[in-house]
Amino acid sequence: MSGPRRLSVPRHVVVRADDDGTPGLIDGREVDAVRESWLVEDRWWTERPLRRRYWEVVTTCGRNEVVFHDLERGGWCRQR
Amino acid sequence: MIVCALFPRFQLGIAAGDRTELLKEPVALAPEPGGVQQVGEVSLAAEAFGVHPGMRLGEALARCPRLKLLPPDPAGVDEVWERLLVRLESIGAAVEPERPGLVCFDARGLLRLHGGIEGVLRVARRSLRVPTRFGVAPSRFTAVAAATQARVRRPTIVAGAREQASAFLATLPVALLRARPALSELPEALERLGVCTLGELASLPPEAMADRFGRLGMLAHQLASGADAQLRPRPASEYMRESLELPEAASGTQLEKGLGLLIDRLLARRERRGRTLRAVVLSAVLVEQGGTWREQVVFREALADPVRMRLVLAPRLALMPAPAELLRLAIERFGPPASDQRTLIESPADARSARLREAIRQARAAAGPEAALRVLEIDPASRFPERRAVLAPFER
Repeated sequence: MSGPRRLSVPRHVVVRADDDGTPGLIDGREVDAVRESWLVEDRWWTERPLRRRYWEVVTTCGRNEVVFHDLERGGWCRQR
Repeated sequence: MIVCALFPRFQLGIAAGDRTELLKEPVALAPEPGGVQQVGEVSLAAEAFGVHPGMRLGEALARCPRLKLLPPDPAGVDEVWERLLVRLESIGAAVEPERPGLVCFDARGLLRLHGGIEGVLRVARRSLRVPTRFGVAPSRFTAVAAATQARVRRPTIVAGAREQASAFLATLPVALLRARPALSELPEALERLGVCTLGELASLPPEAMADRFGRLGMLAHQLASGADAQLRPRPASEYMRESLELPEAASGTQLEKGLGLLIDRLLARRERRGRTLRAVVLSAVLVEQGGTWREQVVFREALADPVRMRLVLAPRLALMPAPAELLRLAIERFGPPASDQRTLIESPADARSARLREAIRQARAAAGPEAALRVLEIDPASRFPERRAVLAPFER
């Protein structure tokens, strides 16, 4: 092992979102319900600020997913 | 700059021994006794029938009814392979063996020592003393692919960075992914989907590969794009072995006595310098050209006591599929010195801690350095989950 390895690292995921930003399709799985959504902002005083809109959703196949939209760099990630 | 040394059909060649004319016919290595029913390395003639290593035995025989099966020789392969690795290490190469017949090393530290990459290859060829195909490339997988395209006297060198590696791989078949054991079943699925070359694979969106094949798909995409993980060279080690020829085919009690003799001889070797043994390899040459048998044994506790070693090793002899004509015992890993003794009175906490340390040592000896890790909290209150904890080696 080369060194400590981070846990819960975000992994890229393909999400199709509605006009208002609500995820509708995650990796080809349709979203059945949105359980919660929250915004996290940090390090706004640095050159690499973090702004993420998190969504906790349930897909039609019963999976509970937590995904976020990176509002700074764009793109969607899954995080556990 | 990674160098790959490829010895084509290494295991098959050793199993065939002097019967080299066999290799001109459709031949494959038979599955190991008690193992998965898949063929091992195959000859060129067998490849022409569509048989490839790792194929199910039934399918291989259906594709080529004339296919001959050779019993594998794991102990012979082990011995010759170790000798070749030591020869490469003798020129200063930190080798990472992928499988018998395929080894990679990073040449950057050797370039000035041997006068450039040509010099490194010349010295490696001279030290190995067997026909070898060399491939040189920026990443390990590309070096392996380059070695498959090379000739014995003409190495394939892919200079540059990831882009050049990706361009070199573009026209090569996806079947090369079989060089990585974890991806052995992927090429067939890709070919069925019409993805025949590594260039076609690299041009697919990584998300699509992840969606269809998961983690393995991402790995295959990464390899086809010319990237790969860092090499993890093996630590240089000593090789100590004792063998005993058995005049008559031996089994049962006779074999156990032979084993006792081998243990005594191995423990008496001066090179052991009082160290205990953590892991050993017990192997045998079976009678009537029945191939060889090999069993790795990791002791629950590092030992230097012949009686306890015999207790552990003797039951393994019963697993041997046929009587033996040669029995071997080799040290694979040493433990701490024999003077590492226990105290007379132990506190329960110390005893538990010592047991835990021992369990971790055993797990690492059997499954590698990443076998025991712990979750270390860095910033548990962070609003970003990836900052809360890391995985670190378990130290106690």
